Amino acid sequence: MENTQITPNSSNHISNKNWYDRHYKLLLIIPLILFLFSIIYLTLFYHSNGDIFYKDVSLTGGTTVTVFDGNVSLVNLRSSLISQFPDLIVRGISDISSGKQRGFSLETKSNSSEIKSALESYLGYNLTSDNSSVEFSGASLSTGFYQQLRFAIILAFTLMAVVVFVIFRTPVRSLSIILAGLGDIIMTVCVIDILGIQLSTAGIVALLMLIGYSVDVDILLTTRVFRHRDGNLNQRIFGAFKTGITMTLTAMASIAIALIFTFSISSTLAQMFTIILIGLAFDIVNCWVMNASILKWYAEVKKIE
Amino acid sequence: MKLNFGFRVWLLIIVLLLSVLAIAPWGYFQSGVVIKSVDVNSSSFDQGIKAGEIIKSINGQIITDKSSYANVTDSIFIDNSSKRIDLVTDKNEYILFTNNSLGLTIDSIPKTRIQTGLDLRGGARALVQPDAVITDSQLNDLIQISTNRFNVFGLSDVQIRGVTDLAGNKYMLVEVAGATPNDLESLISQQGKFEAKVGNTTVFEGGKQDIADVCRNDATCAGITNCGSDGQGAYVCEFRFTLYLTAEAAQRHADITRNISLDSTSKYLSQKLYLFVDGNQVDELNIGADLRGSSTTQISIQGPGNGKTQDEALQNAKDNMKKLQTVLITGSLPYKLNIVKLDTISSSLGDQFTYSILLAGFFALLGVSIIIFVRYRKIKSSLALLFTSFSELVIILGVAALINWNLDIPSLAGILATIGTGVDSQIVILDEARRGVSTSMKEKIKRALFIILASYATALASLLPLYWAGAGLFKGFAVTTIIGITAGVFISRPAFAEMIKRIEGN
Repeated sequence: MENTQITPNSSNHISNKNWYDRHYKLLLIIPLILFLFSIIYLTLFYHSNGDIFYKDVSLTGGTTVTVFDGNVSLVNLRSSLISQFPDLIVRGISDISSGKQRGFSLETKSNSSEIKSALESYLGYNLTSDNSSVEFSGASLSTGFYQQLRFAIILAFTLMAVVVFVIFRTPVRSLSIILAGLGDIIMTVCVIDILGIQLSTAGIVALLMLIGYSVDVDILLTTRVFRHRDGNLNQRIFGAFKTGITMTLTAMASIAIALIFTFSISSTLAQMFTIILIGLAFDIVNCWVMNASILKWYAEVKKIE
Repeated sequence: MKLNFGFRVWLLIIVLLLSVLAIAPWGYFQSGVVIKSVDVNSSSFDQGIKAGEIIKSINGQIITDKSSYANVTDSIFIDNSSKRIDLVTDKNEYILFTNNSLGLTIDSIPKTRIQTGLDLRGGARALVQPDAVITDSQLNDLIQISTNRFNVFGLSDVQIRGVTDLAGNKYMLVEVAGATPNDLESLISQQGKFEAKVGNTTVFEGGKQDIADVCRNDATCAGITNCGSDGQGAYVCEFRFTLYLTAEAAQRHADITRNISLDSTSKYLSQKLYLFVDGNQVDELNIGADLRGSSTTQISIQGPGNGKTQDEALQNAKDNMKKLQTVLITGSLPYKLNIVKLDTISSSLGDQFTYSILLAGFFALLGVSIIIFVRYRKIKSSLALLFTSFSELVIILGVAALINWNLDIPSLAGILATIGTGVDSQIVILDEARRGVSTSMKEKIKRALFIILASYATALASLLPLYWAGAGLFKGFAVTTIIGITAGVFISRPAFAEMIKRIEGN
């Protein structure tokens, strides 16, 4: 049984071996370019925006009003309120099965009574807890939240790095995993910025999840390459690749499906799933191009067969 | 049939069964409505009907849900004549004679013991911060006073707890389930410092020290006395209720009023009793001449309510009376409170959310199944994998139900992500088991579990800081996810390894 399993692997690896052996160091250029681009982009972004991403009202303070009224024209609503609330964001909420508009939500940095009264006079009826939801966060609380979440990200990353060091002991093996994790995060943030997404508290939580989850595949790769001794180095890398890519693609498929079913109804879930999806996609490059090449290079230097 | 699954699989099956017991999905098989509360002034109360009983039928008509209850009661109380009502609950049969409502608040029977968060079932959440630095014991006092206030005000389904964030800030988190009272904001943040003064001298304050009792819900000593137009298109109503002072406060009243002269009419004293809440004057009362120097323990408090219509003015007067009574009974807080976050969430979209998420979960699992089957082309292993993922879901829900954890939207995202990583771990096990000829199955599983444990450790490390960040608002997410991955690593994934050892080992 297991013999038949090995045969196709070996033939694959023979056909790929020469090319991979010759070019694996060159492949490192791809993640290097992505890294450089992300760092430069984020630095420029930081200089023009004062932070490395756009923040929504959950991180800056402000109000989100959700109204369950499917008969309001979002375009008209926006144009009549925009002069009073220049930072207003209007989103539609629709039913997943019928696609029909179920309501809409408004986001602004203004406080809840201002936007509520403006909205009430536009709609011509009072907003109650039956027909609407209002979420308000004070500016100082939100800023505090943001600082804590930022600290949580740094702490989480540090703890993850410590755990990786404890498990793998040697600097190169550990650092290449940590570097892949770092790449996943900064490249994802870069894409979020390019897409113009305003990060919410839930979005930051998703980045935290990404820290923990994205290194899974890197751990698998490093373990297979250095702790196991069946097959030669390339066979171990390709074996790990086969497992790892199944893991990542399965995760991406399930997250993408979840995203499709929730994006029209919950911007919180939509943002979390989008971030994880982008992060997992980058992990394919960071793990199988960067981490694999670094480990192969290291193994060859150390003469590990 | 052979049942030698091995210890790990048995452990999974036992935990799975316990989880189902914890979730208790029996509500799906029950019909009726559950009684949430019984009005003390109703004939239902007199007959001994208790909250928690499940109404099965009324006058022989079967009650299946909230709408059938509403239909039946609407048809019975169509006029004001007195009628006989036969009410059957799961515990007893009652015969009531009444001409108005049954005095029962009812709700649907909960389908399971899983509790959903405010963002799914609707309600209000306020994060309140004192404007002074307070100690833990002061925070506990604050919670105690606030809890009293909510009880006095008549809100029962309220959870109040103290939270501390990563930066050491202390907050009081107030969560109100269901419909949100309009004056929640003032109820929470009002410092509620009540003072009654003559001139600059305080006669008595709100709280136990000075107030022995406050008349409430008793028409003989509390109520709306008169309503009418103010002549300018608006309406004014007046409330009045009796306040009972302690002997000490009554003596103070006597000492202070003893030397005050009478006014020109000789009916009242020349100085009035001024009432302040949080430093703002809410009312002024004339002191009757006969009260001069007397240690009266009863004081009649009155105040107005305004509105565009008479009904509005009446409601406003009732609300003002309730607020003043609440403040008088519960006393004041020693500092000002700021509402730093206030969310009032409608339950309108809750069902839609749950439906979308269930649909998302189902199709995600279906998608994963297809990938797994295409990749491995082994029906037994693929089914074992799906069974394991499904059990992880049941275990998370079971633990959440057991510890009364409220599942909010981020927690659901956490559950989906946990199932995703669970599948990843099972793929590692499956692939390790099928790799290489030279190593024993035991060794292969050991290797797989090493990778899984290492991944678990990094995930745990990255989620832990979230437990404290953001005043505990992400605790739900952190806890659910940690429960999920821990159950996965120690229960379901070893069981899956065992299953694969048996399936692939043959």
